[in-house]
Amino acid sequence: MNEFEEIRGCLVEMKDLSSLMIDLAFSSVLYNSEDIAEEVYLLEERMDDLTVHVKKLALRAAKHEEDPESLLSIIDLADINERISDAAYAIADIILRDIEPHPIIRKIMEDTEEELGRVTVRPGSVLIGKTLAQLKLPSKIGTRILAIKRGNRYIYNPGRNDTIEEGDVLIAVSSDIDKLKKLAGEEVEENE
Amino acid sequence: MEEWDEVEVPTNVKDIFVEMKNTAELMVDLAYSAALFKEKEMAEEVLELEEYLDILNYNLTVRAVLAARNLKEAEQITSILQMARAIDDISNAAADLAKMVLEEKIHPLITEVIMESEETIGKVVVSPDSVLVGKTLEELDLSTNTGVWIIAIRRGKRWIFDPDEDTKILPGDILIGRGTRTALDYLKEIARGNIKVMTNE
Repeated sequence: MNEFEEIRGCLVEMKDLSSLMIDLAFSSVLYNSEDIAEEVYLLEERMDDLTVHVKKLALRAAKHEEDPESLLSIIDLADINERISDAAYAIADIILRDIEPHPIIRKIMEDTEEELGRVTVRPGSVLIGKTLAQLKLPSKIGTRILAIKRGNRYIYNPGRNDTIEEGDVLIAVSSDIDKLKKLAGEEVEENE
Repeated sequence: MEEWDEVEVPTNVKDIFVEMKNTAELMVDLAYSAALFKEKEMAEEVLELEEYLDILNYNLTVRAVLAARNLKEAEQITSILQMARAIDDISNAAADLAKMVLEEKIHPLITEVIMESEETIGKVVVSPDSVLVGKTLEELDLSTNTGVWIIAIRRGKRWIFDPDEDTKILPGDILIGRGTRTALDYLKEIARGNIKVMTNE
């Protein structure tokens, strides 16, 4: 069943994308960053393509299924992810509109359980030259890198083989962003 | 069944908002866990949280509308309402996934998708020899030290959903956590008692 293999690949990508988009959308609001908001917009288009693709594949697969209705939940899952990504887009849209977001929105971001942070990699940092696979940041310090800003360019959802360079700006989600700041060689304020 | 009339809602816009965001994120995690492990009780919890979120959203809207003193403020407040609506949409999506679990309509492929995604859900059994035993979640700070967010604990026949910082881990507890595969494997080793110290410094 070739279709199922393809559907699975698409759905995994959709699930990863929708959670990345939510994190990026909140980051765009926190940092008032149009760049990040634009990326959410682009990912939303990718998401729409994937949704249509999964639905078509599911219909094709249904032809040789004994119980075609069982595939409904697959279409439902695609829809659920699409709706989450739409919500992410609606959040990012706050930044893309001309109206200045209410100041309270930023304060909210600072108080939620998972912190979002923007950390600059300083000269001499232990992170420099290492790949994300080597650093194992999620299990070591509970931190995931959503994007790396290098010069004017963003690398979104960096993979295992991406290397951190001096001067990189890391957009991260973490339970304790200070740990990443320390590794990056940034000074950490005690009361933060 | 709890009565939502008795549920305390935070009194200021900021705190309601924070509660909404945390609740919606928890709902998504719980809904995927419910789908992965076919846990109807967990799915029911998602639906209850959905009702709670609706109440939060209503309270937020009322307070936000009240706060506007002029046109400029009113325009800014639309950004709060837009965001609240988006969070509500996320929670509705999670609730729909939970309903699929209750109706037993989860295709086996969906289980595979959840297991293969970057951040996945895992079940971790705590052995009596583990360093986790007898410590509170606050002391352990697992999200920072292992990269796993504990979203629920199964203790005997009882579920503890969204355990708070004072929750103590007991031997035999089954922890439901969200994290990358590596992070979950690391926590499993700690829970089995194979890793005795969580040193990440």
